[in-house]
Amino acid sequence: MKTWIWLSLLLCAALWLSLFSGARSVPLHDAVQAFIAADSTNADHVALLYVRFPRVVAGLVCGAALGAAGMAMQVLTRNPLADPGILGVNAGAAFAVTIGALLAGRADGALLAFLAFPGAAVAAVAVFTLGGGLRGNASPVRLTLAGAALSALLISLVTALVLIRGESLEVVRFWVVGSLAEARTRPLLVMSATALAGGAILLAIATKLEALALGETLSRGLGTRPRQVQATVLLAVTLLTGAAVALAGPIAFLGLMVPPIARRITGASLRPGILASAMLGATVLLFADVAGRLLFSPSEIPAGIMTALIGGPVFVLIARRLSPGAIA
Amino acid sequence: MIRQLLLVFLLLVATVLALGLGQASLGPEAVWQGLTGGDDAGALVVQILRGPRIATAILVGAAFGLSGAIFQTLLRNPLASPDVMGFSAGSGLAILGAVTVNLAVPMPIVACAGGLLTAAFVLVVARPAVGRTSLEGAPAVTIVLVGIGVGFTAAAFGSFLMTRLSGPEAAEAQRWLAGSLAARDWSDVLQLFGMVVVLVALLLLQVRNLRLLELGSELATGLGINVRKSRLGLSATAVLLAASAVAIAGPIAFVALMAPPLGARIARTTDAGGRMLASALTGALIVVLADLASRAMLPGLQLPIGVMTGILGAPYLLWLLSREIERGEL
Repeated sequence: MKTWIWLSLLLCAALWLSLFSGARSVPLHDAVQAFIAADSTNADHVALLYVRFPRVVAGLVCGAALGAAGMAMQVLTRNPLADPGILGVNAGAAFAVTIGALLAGRADGALLAFLAFPGAAVAAVAVFTLGGGLRGNASPVRLTLAGAALSALLISLVTALVLIRGESLEVVRFWVVGSLAEARTRPLLVMSATALAGGAILLAIATKLEALALGETLSRGLGTRPRQVQATVLLAVTLLTGAAVALAGPIAFLGLMVPPIARRITGASLRPGILASAMLGATVLLFADVAGRLLFSPSEIPAGIMTALIGGPVFVLIARRLSPGAIA
Repeated sequence: MIRQLLLVFLLLVATVLALGLGQASLGPEAVWQGLTGGDDAGALVVQILRGPRIATAILVGAAFGLSGAIFQTLLRNPLASPDVMGFSAGSGLAILGAVTVNLAVPMPIVACAGGLLTAAFVLVVARPAVGRTSLEGAPAVTIVLVGIGVGFTAAAFGSFLMTRLSGPEAAEAQRWLAGSLAARDWSDVLQLFGMVVVLVALLLLQVRNLRLLELGSELATGLGINVRKSRLGLSATAVLLAASAVAIAGPIAFVALMAPPLGARIARTTDAGGRMLASALTGALIVVLADLASRAMLPGLQLPIGVMTGILGAPYLLWLLSREIERGEL
């Protein structure tokens, strides 16, 4: 119980900071006013309601989704290096959205954001299959390399597409590293609902996924159907990652670094692990976003860059600890 | 030998094509005129715009090809190459850092320092806690994985530094980081040529060591070479080759990965020296063709060459992985 209180407190602190820190400081009294009786002529109210609030919601949803998705992928693939970013699922979603924007010939509207889901789904299935996941022998190095190769390909294509459309560097950056700065223009409500649905599916299947993690033969004996569980988990991961990318672009490494911490806090049981991972994911992303905003204020560093700066070293640490036998 | 000549011939054809095609296409005779010192508009395109660009492409490709071939031979792993293991990204990050703080040091030196530091870091971090005295060092897969992670980190720092640059500078840096041969002149070519010549000479001195190392460390020790020193020397040469290419053209992805196996396949050679030559030629061929495609494929638009090699190279990496998995080697 104590751990949950701590996690909630941390998350609240992150939400608070991200709502109230920034170029414009808003007194608490005004902030409360903004939510109770919004005054559209008050610049503080407008900034809070239409810029910062969507950003906080996007950070909350996106961080929680990526944290949960990362946990699910790590358990499903039995690979501590699994992460929607590293395995190319993020890039698949970003690629689908940018190609949709190119074909539609206009800047990405809310409808185009839905392309993130088929993109994420195709990438997830492709990497899982390529890495040997269907045969139940996905090794970390295979999956990671397959994911890295797929990401490299898709990111090259995304860069090419964005350049072909003659977009600015900012747009390239959004679709390559991800950022919360665009939150107010993204379809917040629908994507939050989708992420919630994905999270619910994941929590529902968690016990079966745990059984699967014991090995296919054993899990069959326990009465689960491996293919069905795999497919359901991939569906949940697709919904979670697709929603996250549609809101904030392909934010990397969040799903890599949060789950190990969550496991350490909650122990072996998966369901609390997923919850803790989601809370921590949101906390880390919000803190990363605040740091990116404050570090060189008034100019901003996209949240995706901040998470990659922390996540890259974490990847190295995990990679070097894997024993060669476990890798190959 | 005949097959090596085939590679040379292919490279020549690609060079003539690359000199002729582009926003304004020239016929073969116009290219010839340009090469032999004409002074009409077409000749100027060849001499001032495309000539240095393509000479750079050839040198950059050869340097990447050699670097990849050395690492793949040393680590006996087709995934080992300076781009996959993050060394190129380290060189790129060093240059970006130097640009950000206005450091007045020649870029090739910065790139070499960055590449060497990154490589040293990867090798040290990948080394297992136990068995530190073994001659083999860290297993290749661990080095590759740690290298990928270091590459990710370097790329993240690069993006971070880029947010500190002004708009136009950042756009330029973004293009360069994706790999670009745009706006290269003859002084770049000369600089790169000098570095490549020195490094190739160094490599030639070490080819014997490489051949012996291929036999396995025990046998190589028995035949009287210092395994650790030779490995270090060869690795450093390979890192410097990649770094000098990065200094001029940016960290172009996948060339060093693709060139050695393709070259070995075309040239059908098993000898270490022959493979190096084939890999250098193939690397040059890949970069010249990728540059041509990035300039001429879409009218009115130049894509960074790294985008082209990424689109070509990543499927190759995926194919390589699936083949290795089929064979149960990975």
